[in-house]
Amino acid sequence: MTTTELPIFNRADGPDKVTGTGRYAADISLTGMLAAKFKYAGIAHGKIVKIDTSAASAMPGVFAVLTADDVPDVRYSAVIADRRLFAKDVVRFEGEVVAAVAALTPELAQAAVDSIEVTYEELPAVNDIESALAEGSPLVHDQFDTYGVTDDTRMAANDAYVSTLSFGDAEAALKSADIVVSGRFVADASHAVPIEPRAVVAQWEGNKVTVWTSTQVPFDARNGICETLEMPANRVRVIVPHLGGGFGGKCGFHFEAHIAALAKAARRPVKLVFSRMEEFLAPDRRREGMVIDITTGLNSDGTIVARKAWIALDNGAYCSDSAFFPQMAAMHVLGPYKVPNTHVESHLVYTNHQPSGSVRAPTAPQGCWAVETHTDELANAVDMDPVEFRKLNCVGTGDAGAMGQVYEEIALQECIERAAAAAGYGQDLPENEAIGLAVGWWPSFPGASGSYIKLDGDGSGQIITGAQECGTGAVMTLPYLAAEQLGMQPEDFELVYQDTSAAPYDTGATGSQTLLNNGRAVQEAAIMIAGQLKDLAAEHLEASAGDIVLADGAASVAGSPDRNVTIAALAEIAGGGELLIGHGSGAPPDYPDNAVGATCLGDQGVAAWVGPQFMCHAARVRVDRDTGVARVLNVAAAHDNGTIINMTGATGQIEGGILMGIGQALTEGTQYSDSGKQLNAALLEYKLQTSADAPEISIEFVQINTPGAGPNGAKGLAEAPNVPTAAAVSCAIAKVIGEPVRQLPMTAERVWKTA
Amino acid sequence: MSFAIASSVEEALEALDSGARPIAGGTDLVVGARQGKGGLPESIVAIDRIAELAEIGVADGGLRIGAGVTHARLMTEPAVVDRYTALADAAALVGSPATRNVGTLGGNVMNSSPAMDTGAPLMTFGAVAELRSTSGTRTVALDELWTGPGKNSSQENELCVALVLPDLGERAGSAYVRLEYRRAMEIAVVGAAATVQLDADGNFESARVALTAVAPKIIEVSGIADVVAGKANDDALGALVYAQAAEQATPISDLRAGEEYRRHCVGVMARRAVEAAARRASGETIAVPVNRALGVGANA
Amino acid sequence: MSENTELENLELKVNGVSYPLALEIDRNLSGVLRTEVGLTGTKEGCDDCECGACMVLLDGQPINSCSYLAVQAQGRDITTVEGLIDGDELHPLQRNILAAGGVQCGFCTPGMLMSAQALLERNDSPTEDEIRIGLSGNLCRCTGYAKIVTAVQATAVELRS
Ligand SMILES: Cc1cc2nc3c(=O)[nH]c(=O)nc-3n(C[C@H](O)[C@H](O)[C@H](O)COP(=O)(O)OP(=O)(O)OC[C@H]3O[C@@H](n4cnc5c(N)ncnc54)[C@H](O)[C@@H]3O)c2cc1C
Ligand code: FES
Ligand code: FES
Repeated sequence: MTTTELPIFNRADGPDKVTGTGRYAADISLTGMLAAKFKYAGIAHGKIVKIDTSAASAMPGVFAVLTADDVPDVRYSAVIADRRLFAKDVVRFEGEVVAAVAALTPELAQAAVDSIEVTYEELPAVNDIESALAEGSPLVHDQFDTYGVTDDTRMAANDAYVSTLSFGDAEAALKSADIVVSGRFVADASHAVPIEPRAVVAQWEGNKVTVWTSTQVPFDARNGICETLEMPANRVRVIVPHLGGGFGGKCGFHFEAHIAALAKAARRPVKLVFSRMEEFLAPDRRREGMVIDITTGLNSDGTIVARKAWIALDNGAYCSDSAFFPQMAAMHVLGPYKVPNTHVESHLVYTNHQPSGSVRAPTAPQGCWAVETHTDELANAVDMDPVEFRKLNCVGTGDAGAMGQVYEEIALQECIERAAAAAGYGQDLPENEAIGLAVGWWPSFPGASGSYIKLDGDGSGQIITGAQECGTGAVMTLPYLAAEQLGMQPEDFELVYQDTSAAPYDTGATGSQTLLNNGRAVQEAAIMIAGQLKDLAAEHLEASAGDIVLADGAASVAGSPDRNVTIAALAEIAGGGELLIGHGSGAPPDYPDNAVGATCLGDQGVAAWVGPQFMCHAARVRVDRDTGVARVLNVAAAHDNGTIINMTGATGQIEGGILMGIGQALTEGTQYSDSGKQLNAALLEYKLQTSADAPEISIEFVQINTPGAGPNGAKGLAEAPNVPTAAAVSCAIAKVIGEPVRQLPMTAERVWKTA
Repeated sequence: MSFAIASSVEEALEALDSGARPIAGGTDLVVGARQGKGGLPESIVAIDRIAELAEIGVADGGLRIGAGVTHARLMTEPAVVDRYTALADAAALVGSPATRNVGTLGGNVMNSSPAMDTGAPLMTFGAVAELRSTSGTRTVALDELWTGPGKNSSQENELCVALVLPDLGERAGSAYVRLEYRRAMEIAVVGAAATVQLDADGNFESARVALTAVAPKIIEVSGIADVVAGKANDDALGALVYAQAAEQATPISDLRAGEEYRRHCVGVMARRAVEAAARRASGETIAVPVNRALGVGANA
Repeated sequence: MSENTELENLELKVNGVSYPLALEIDRNLSGVLRTEVGLTGTKEGCDDCECGACMVLLDGQPINSCSYLAVQAQGRDITTVEGLIDGDELHPLQRNILAAGGVQCGFCTPGMLMSAQALLERNDSPTEDEIRIGLSGNLCRCTGYAKIVTAVQATAVELRS
């Protein structure tokens, strides 16, 4: 990468961010504000015998000390209501909040927390996914049957959820296959690691509370407060200042209610700022560890005839949004392949670890790593080149995928060809280097989403959207869509976002859905204003509204461009009258028929995908055989993400996703002690890739017309690039050392041991 | 708590006499306190503005490097890069540009971590630490200075003022190599330094090798001089160095690496360090740090 | 920190402005900049001096302000991200990092800009690898660094001409 040419991309939040004037949650200070600190369990599993907060409450400068007894007794969660704000009776992971303190300073709050005495009767920690499923394993939730979950989604004692995907007759097809290859793959848990540790500030006025928080999903945060503190939505206002990254780690509802409750009890604004260690230990979001057994049957010509798989996912102590993980993991272990006979059984397993939750393409990088490493073994078994093998077996336009969904126009085959070509696949390389290639996929997630737009009297516009910006630029791209409909410039619009009391609902910066869903809403709102402008112009220009064209900041009559009036002039007219206000929510595209031939236990609606995204990464890797240290030299990425609206933003997502993928491949993995505690909850020991490690990256988008996609044919984008990188690196390492590394991350020591 | 900024060694020594602990760059001291590894000392004297401690000068044909010299300076100072290249290799690997900008040689040595990067090179040079207190100056050999992880034999009131490096003689060369999982911001999982002298034919006359992070302190590999004497810089020699180093290492298993892997890798590092040192001794220029120049591990 | 009652009276010079302050000795510079001095552009992202979000310049050279005693910075020129702008005119690094798309969430950006500034002060024509090593103490989770490196290259070219 030696180019010094700069593409143009104007982020509305750009000047705030480069000058240091943009405020993030930790930058907010309010008069009279107190500092919050949490008392954490500190052990992985134990019965609470006694909590003594008397010393803390008696400390001067301490304004509130809360435990489970001080808040409504509400069990909550996205899918399985298995947790409370504060641990009650039992602690189930080391980062579980047992008590919270608000005091004059952070130091004082910490001293008060340290003075809280909790007596535990320690229980055996469930520290491993597989033994958790074994008969006689200690239970993480011994009251599971009272949580109101239907029993058929449970097969073993610590199952939180089970999903099976079945199509055709895998058993019979495997029996008659020419070649059968099996493999086991184990992925360690990992973390999202946004560079901003989260912060929350809460302030009450009367019976209403305002919470500033670093969340990707302000409406989820609001709803969580409403549910746990038993308040109506209209009295809870969640505002997200600039957000310092999320990657899923800041999805979900976490600590907003704790701080709101503290502020209420203390009658003062309260602020919580996490240390990095807390950011590693406490949120119920990390990337799940997985164990994957795959067996695939082939015909001697290399066509896949059947696949069986067994998957176990480490859910940790509580169920966040993770209930869809088993089915999602199963889809990734099947992969974007034509597999006529399948059977996958997938368990989401409770352990005494930090809870898992959606982190950038949950389950996909691990599943893809396993299946793509396995795919190279399949190709070897029939003596085929891995690229040819994939071209033979991957889905193309009109093909039916593993669960029977028939794909309309897709570009996976072309992605494979382009990535291989860009990487120089097939060239002669030094003996310690190889190019590995992997394919991956990811769905788009249609959902409800709303936006308002107003044009003020001076002709300047504001988009007031429920969508949340976490850095990806997705929200920053919305002005392009509005401007396009109104014949204006993106710079004519400012954004008002991340305030639940100002804007309509949106799912948030999750599931790569912003442009797909909110983009539609913004377009619809803009179209509404366009209609108003055309009516006004028609009157002004004495033409019919149907003949008015909006372009270049003016309304003119089609065919006679000198009969025109500026949009600013129309806005001024409207400013004294009906006002230019648009709103939109746009109907989400229909899901494809979900049950296509599948018999699914624990169906979570992800066995058939709307607007599926496809990608292929080819990674050139050098391995130091003596030490096992691997270094990625370059990555060629080819993506089908539909239409690309903001090229700079899109390539930025891919570059960031690839680097995160390399981290997952080589250095990022959570290590646990025998007692279930994280050993590497710090950035020196949990190693992200640095600028010095980042490889050269080339990117190509195969832009095709995807039926059922979002605005202008765009699909999601932010998660996709995270899917196949670790897999491509794995395939390359296996080529160099002659054997796949079956554990993720493929640390130097593991590579050395395998070689 | 109290804090003072010393402007001379004498001022610093007086402060030490009354119980203060020195702070130079603070990259061990303050970072450790922030991580909760133990609070700051009650009384602190800053020594980073003492001009004398930042001096580098010739002494007895060798080099005397002030304890306050930063890693950023060590990695670019011609006298160090040309003659004590292993030290420049090590300094160039420390932390990030910011760490190297304020972190000092004296701080690295006196922090006495078994994972310190400048320790192994200094050991193979036969360097000594110059310690000074209000009652005088003494020099201490490094294997007597370091006594265990984070421990050294200096007195509370002694300041390390300099490291004194002897002349290495004709046809000498040195190199420091460490295992890294990524190309920056690493800590030595294991490392090795070598200083070698060649004879007129280009064969080894003698060599010293020291190892990082495989024992409670930096250790020197014994018997290396005998192993290499008269031999050429080739694969057979490398295998012998590997075996000697791996055998003498007493590494632990922890979250960064297992015992077996560490033992193997320190052998590899020792072999590579000796090979690079010999190439340098024969007149070849290998840029600092060796890790990056030679493509060792992730550093290629 | 809570037990400290002794305060040290001192002056810190930040972006050319002197701030008379009374501080506990164990206060880190980043905390003082963010609270007493009131400049929140300097960020804090870790506990072990690994992320670089807190990077500021001390006499023109980069330091991790999270791990530097505020009292030790007296008498030196401290530059934070807020000191880069010249009136209303963005510094070329600020302008170029925006134009290149090197800002996503922006949390690493202030520290990244300070490291880049120090690098270009030392070396007006860095190679790509020198830039990558020069920024290696600043973690960015969003961008993959490519566009940041491009911005530094573009700035070097601009400043040389
Ligand atoms: C992000 C990061 C990365 C790092 N990477 C590395 C690395 O790769 N390799 C490595 O070896 N180290 C590394 N370190 C550790 C540290 O930077 C070095 O050890 C550095 O040389 C310490 O120097 P200092 O001046 O900052 O020491 P300080 O922290 O100021 O002092 C360290 C100790 O030595 C004492 N001391 C300091 N100077 C003297 C003196 N002249 N006489 C007597 N006692 C003295 C102090 O009282 C204190 O106990 C890293 C640190 C950080 C924060
Ligand atoms: S806050 Fe991370 S290095 Fe200073
Ligand atoms: S832009 Fe988000 S961490 Fe760099």
